[in-house]
Amino acid sequence: MMDAMNETDTMNRTSATSAPAPLPSLISIVWIAWFSVREMARRRRLISLGLINLLPVLVVLAIRIWFPGEGITAQMQLAALSHDTFIPFLIPIAAMAVGIPAIGEQVEDGTIVFTWTRPIRRRAIYLGRLFAAQMVATLLMSGSLVLCFVIMVSEGLQVITFEFLKLYLLTFMIIGLGAFTYSALFAAFGTFFKKPVLPAILFAFGWENLVSNIPARVQELSLRFHLQNLVERPPAAPDDLPGLLGALLSTSFKRDPVPEIKSVAILLVVMFLAMLLGTWLLQHKEIEK
Amino acid sequence: MMGAGVGSTEARISADRVGKWFGEVIAVNNCTLSVGTGVVGLLGANGAGKSTLFKMLAGLIEPSHGSVRVFGRKLREDVGWYRRVGFCPESDALPGWMTGREFLSLMLRLMGYSKAEVNTRVDLWLDRFELTAAAGRRLDGYSKGMRQKIKLAQALAHDPEVIFLDEPLNGMDPVSRKQSIDLVRELGERGRTVLVSSHILPEVEEMTSQIILIDRGKVLAEGSVTEIRDKIPEHPTTVALASAECRRLAGFLIGQEHVVGVQVETLPEGERVIVRTDHAIGFYRSLPEWILKNNLTVDEILTLDDSLEAVFQYLTE
Repeated sequence: MMDAMNETDTMNRTSATSAPAPLPSLISIVWIAWFSVREMARRRRLISLGLINLLPVLVVLAIRIWFPGEGITAQMQLAALSHDTFIPFLIPIAAMAVGIPAIGEQVEDGTIVFTWTRPIRRRAIYLGRLFAAQMVATLLMSGSLVLCFVIMVSEGLQVITFEFLKLYLLTFMIIGLGAFTYSALFAAFGTFFKKPVLPAILFAFGWENLVSNIPARVQELSLRFHLQNLVERPPAAPDDLPGLLGALLSTSFKRDPVPEIKSVAILLVVMFLAMLLGTWLLQHKEIEK
Repeated sequence: MMGAGVGSTEARISADRVGKWFGEVIAVNNCTLSVGTGVVGLLGANGAGKSTLFKMLAGLIEPSHGSVRVFGRKLREDVGWYRRVGFCPESDALPGWMTGREFLSLMLRLMGYSKAEVNTRVDLWLDRFELTAAAGRRLDGYSKGMRQKIKLAQALAHDPEVIFLDEPLNGMDPVSRKQSIDLVRELGERGRTVLVSSHILPEVEEMTSQIILIDRGKVLAEGSVTEIRDKIPEHPTTVALASAECRRLAGFLIGQEHVVGVQVETLPEGERVIVRTDHAIGFYRSLPEWILKNNLTVDEILTLDDSLEAVFQYLTE
């Protein structure tokens, strides 16, 4: 019975005599993030999220099957998907699904005590879990984008033009930036609110929806506007496109653009502020269970 | 209540007039205590404020007033000191998606150990708590007793000097319970500071005689059971003395220092002297001298109401 204690005594002698310092933040963040990614990957909700992320794949597949040679280029499809599916719908949903519980859930169920009682700064715990959530959200949507690419390219290699590749990489970047920003925001929601889902939904589909459609400077108050501002405008949609798709493409880009660098900067600032707020909230958070 | 403190040597854990409110509810009220090495039991009924006090001491919640220190530091601010602290929460919540081995490994990794050290310690402690066979199973499939054990293992695997155990025996089977009690006692003997809470008095009694009694958020008493017992003047300690000469012994004891009442009780197996003392420690110290000097005979000494349960009952009346 005492063997274990004797051996650990011996092993611990060095650490017990030196002044205890916290683990370096970077190492802690990497460890927390690694285990958090594995935790999130084993959650059932990830399957539902994966299925929702198949939506763009289905759209591309439908165009490939039912509208071949109708003039809807891969570039146009990508721009429309990015503008009307990923940015207003999939990015906020993915960020909500992984961002809200990233920290709040552990505080709520009490399991955070196990990391709080390690020599790790709370901001490292926060950033590690947030980074994991951001990565999971980004990877999920990237997977969907890769499948879209495969379907588009199956039409023929002539699809792969320089412009298409540029747009494709840009879409990855937009998805990453959006997922990181929204996740940071929703993680802060999850840390602050006891029941964060409703405020998050109100923000993502109330505020964002409403404000991003108000012309002039008001629309700049939404994250959605700045993400959509980064999407390259495709060539004008042909007039004879079938009903819903034609309507979608012709009404999608009614906005007053701002310089792209401004949108990127605003998104980064919002992400940074949300992370700052979240770490501050966790610093002052108290365990109830 | 101010006290000299419990445990021996200098205080490793201290709380100075610490209090905690949740809205209008006072969970802990003006508690002052200090704990040195050894095992100390934090005793109180459910809702007495034990867990809140534990969480404040372990740096998990901030006191509304007063201050708490472990190794003279505020753990919440000097997180590096968690290397020397182990905490076993009362809550049953565990990251159920992890296996027992993964959980222990992560906990040790986050203490800063190398992979090789982590593996050695994980094996040792899984074996120590007889969890080796279940090490590859997810924690959400563990029984209540197994969950308690893995929580204890994560609190002890880095060999901390100060250990907080909040209701550690909940849900354990009798064998594991006995092993855990032995382990806690051994930790105390090896110079660790173990603050262990429970609302089950016999459990604490088996682990230590050093206790802190808490009721409705207030520390009622701290020290050894006998010391605390002596501080309850309205309930003198009752001692039974078996002797071949009960009448002579009773006659002598009347009027002696620390003796407030004497009676001879007749039982089927014979007579015994029932002594009521207002200072049990002083009485026990004087008794051998009285016996020797006056040629008295005492065959058996039995304290009838200095059990933790009696003390707790008197103090919370």
